[in-house]
Amino acid sequence: MSLEDVQSVVLVGVGGQGILLASEVLAQAAVLSGHRVKTNEVHGMAQRGGSVVAQIRWGQKVYSPLVASGTARVLGSLEQIEALRYAHYLAPNGLAVVSAQAIMPMTVSTGEAIYPKDVPGLLKRSFSRLIYLDAAQAALDLGEIRAANMVVLGAVSTGLDIAIEDWRDAIVASVKERFVEINLRAFEAGRSFS
Amino acid sequence: MREYLLGNVAIVRGILEGGAGLVAGYPGTPSSEIIDTLGPIAGEHGLHVEWSVNEKVALEVAIGSSWAGTRSVATMKHVGLNVAADPLMTLAYLGVDGGLLIVSADDPFCHSSQNEQDSRRYAQFAGIPCLDPADPQEAKDMTAYAFDLSERLNTPVMLRPTTRVSHARADVALGEIPKRFEPKGFRKDPSRRVALPIHARPLHHELLERQDAIRRELEGMPWNRLELRGDMGILAGGIAGLYAEEAAMDLGLDLSILRIGTYPPPIELMTRLVEHVSTLMVVEELEPVLEEEVERLARLHNPDLRMLGKGSGHIPREGELGLFIARNSIATIAGLPMRDLPRLEEASIVPPRPPALCPGCSHRATYYAMRKAFGKGAIYPSDIGCYTMGVGMGTVDTCLCMGASITVGTGIRFGGEELPICCSLGDSTFLHSGIAGLLNAAYNKANITVTIMDNSTTAMTGHQPHPGTGYTASGDTTAAVDLEVLCLALGAGSVETARPYNLGETIEVFRRARDHPGLSVVIAKEACVIGARRGGKRRLPFRVTDECAGCKVCLEFGCPAIEFDGERARINALCTGCGVCAEICPSNAMEVAK
Repeated sequence: MSLEDVQSVVLVGVGGQGILLASEVLAQAAVLSGHRVKTNEVHGMAQRGGSVVAQIRWGQKVYSPLVASGTARVLGSLEQIEALRYAHYLAPNGLAVVSAQAIMPMTVSTGEAIYPKDVPGLLKRSFSRLIYLDAAQAALDLGEIRAANMVVLGAVSTGLDIAIEDWRDAIVASVKERFVEINLRAFEAGRSFS
Repeated sequence: MREYLLGNVAIVRGILEGGAGLVAGYPGTPSSEIIDTLGPIAGEHGLHVEWSVNEKVALEVAIGSSWAGTRSVATMKHVGLNVAADPLMTLAYLGVDGGLLIVSADDPFCHSSQNEQDSRRYAQFAGIPCLDPADPQEAKDMTAYAFDLSERLNTPVMLRPTTRVSHARADVALGEIPKRFEPKGFRKDPSRRVALPIHARPLHHELLERQDAIRRELEGMPWNRLELRGDMGILAGGIAGLYAEEAAMDLGLDLSILRIGTYPPPIELMTRLVEHVSTLMVVEELEPVLEEEVERLARLHNPDLRMLGKGSGHIPREGELGLFIARNSIATIAGLPMRDLPRLEEASIVPPRPPALCPGCSHRATYYAMRKAFGKGAIYPSDIGCYTMGVGMGTVDTCLCMGASITVGTGIRFGGEELPICCSLGDSTFLHSGIAGLLNAAYNKANITVTIMDNSTTAMTGHQPHPGTGYTASGDTTAAVDLEVLCLALGAGSVETARPYNLGETIEVFRRARDHPGLSVVIAKEACVIGARRGGKRRLPFRVTDECAGCKVCLEFGCPAIEFDGERARINALCTGCGVCAEICPSNAMEVAK
């Protein structure tokens, strides 16, 4: 057994973008598909506008809840440069799903640092398999920008072997009833980007 | 039955399965979700659950409850245990009646903490058992078991989850929740409840004698697992055991492995490992607790043993471990190739994204007004909370521990500093341990200003109530302390409340406090913007008009909702409508977006 026998996914973004909900849906879907699951997430200080990471692992038996660098099958990013920050997690042949959203870090607003230019070009050079999508716009088109996390998750799902029924059931189980419909539609929209 | 649970929720389950009747704690990442989860269900399980004023109070309440015969829990983060250390050290002498569990959640890598101290050292120091779970299942099982252990050995028990256990999620096999035990009531026994010297001396002897019984009891626990195979061995503690096991499989090595989940660690199992192997690597996070113990055993049982770990530089003593570090460290002892860390040129140009005060956070306005009134040169002792993230605004010169802003500021004054001193701390932090500091400053006539940044919640840890909010952990209404009256009663000569969203007025309040000869208090009162929005209170966002002269004065305010497009300021979708930027803008270019 190697580190790659456990399926690993890393979801990243900025505090407040809904990473934890996306992580929960993915974990539920993996549970429903008959696997043992471990995840890890960030609470507390980093959630306040900082860079946020959630790690999800599943398989016959899962030891570490943390993903080793270079072993994630999919890296999902709700903000475009966060994908670069955590690119080291992705396996060499892994799939990167990156939303075109750009959120300026405080270090950029204050002039201490520069937001990189030509991010699409950087992403293409960094990831051999890349889905670059405007999840915020896709979610806005459906009438709810907060569902951008489900759009990204929909695209992430195209790189994983979990049945569509399990994804749908996981969304139903994880979100409040009145938001189920919009989240399901956002997820479907995400799948069409593959 | 299995359920997919957050580590801290698994601990809640263990508390219920263990038949506890009281849980008290103070919020602190990564421990807060234990009481967050228990509060709302306290009634249905017949539990008393409270957010205590601080960790010392929480532990003392739990001790009292234990002495009334009720199984009890005190929860805190690792640095909270420093606050509770006073009752802890003598409690270890006096013992328990109902089983008593102390949950002290460690935070290797300081994800959300001011240091990365190792609670296992406290357990060693106090002479009490410590359970070190590797995952949510172990956290649940150890919690449920701890009460029985505590009662049989007459000792408090510590559970020490780390961030990666408390904030991991995994499917957990559940046990039964028993019927509530009937409390026995307090039994008078001065020889075991009154720590007079004449009682403490024999109790100290008893505590030392108890160590053998604790060792014998823990030796056979299922969380200590020995597998003897090849002559290279791994000794791993807590979550590091999971990293080591997975790494050994990845490397295809036939290693002998001993995983440790209890402290004091199992001497017999460790001795068998030491006698079996010729090379041993110790993998544990933070302090070399196991490493020191096994070094001692190796001197006795296998002096030729090649020992690797923190001492040899193979395992770092600071920060947290992970699969990658564990795997590569173990690879080196077997002479196998390391895995390369994927190197990406692009990652190096990504700008840092540290956590920041929220858009519309009133702390930003308070700091802005404070600096306007006190000036750049003044000294600004600060404290532990969201507002520490304002360090970039120049109004956070110190942050040491809970409540230390006022006392450190007092010391800076009496240490000879003559510049104006303006301290800042939050409402929850003030009530936690700032009250004594303010009383001390008043009593000793410190000429400083203290700012209580009152957002009416414990924001950083997830919006827990405190004695100023009028609500308890279970959501009941209760008396709310009046901060103005309290500060006057403590002896502050001038106490004034400001509304930070009204920037001009707040600057004036700070000026008056600065000019007050003696101790002055400013209470900057505005509800936390997250809490206000959750409560349905939303203000209209602002926008920038053509009047913008591109002077960038608003950018210095540091609100994430304000950006600069090269020529003019722009307000993005993050705006919460606090309106402070409109007061700052010299060109009157900010207006409510219609």
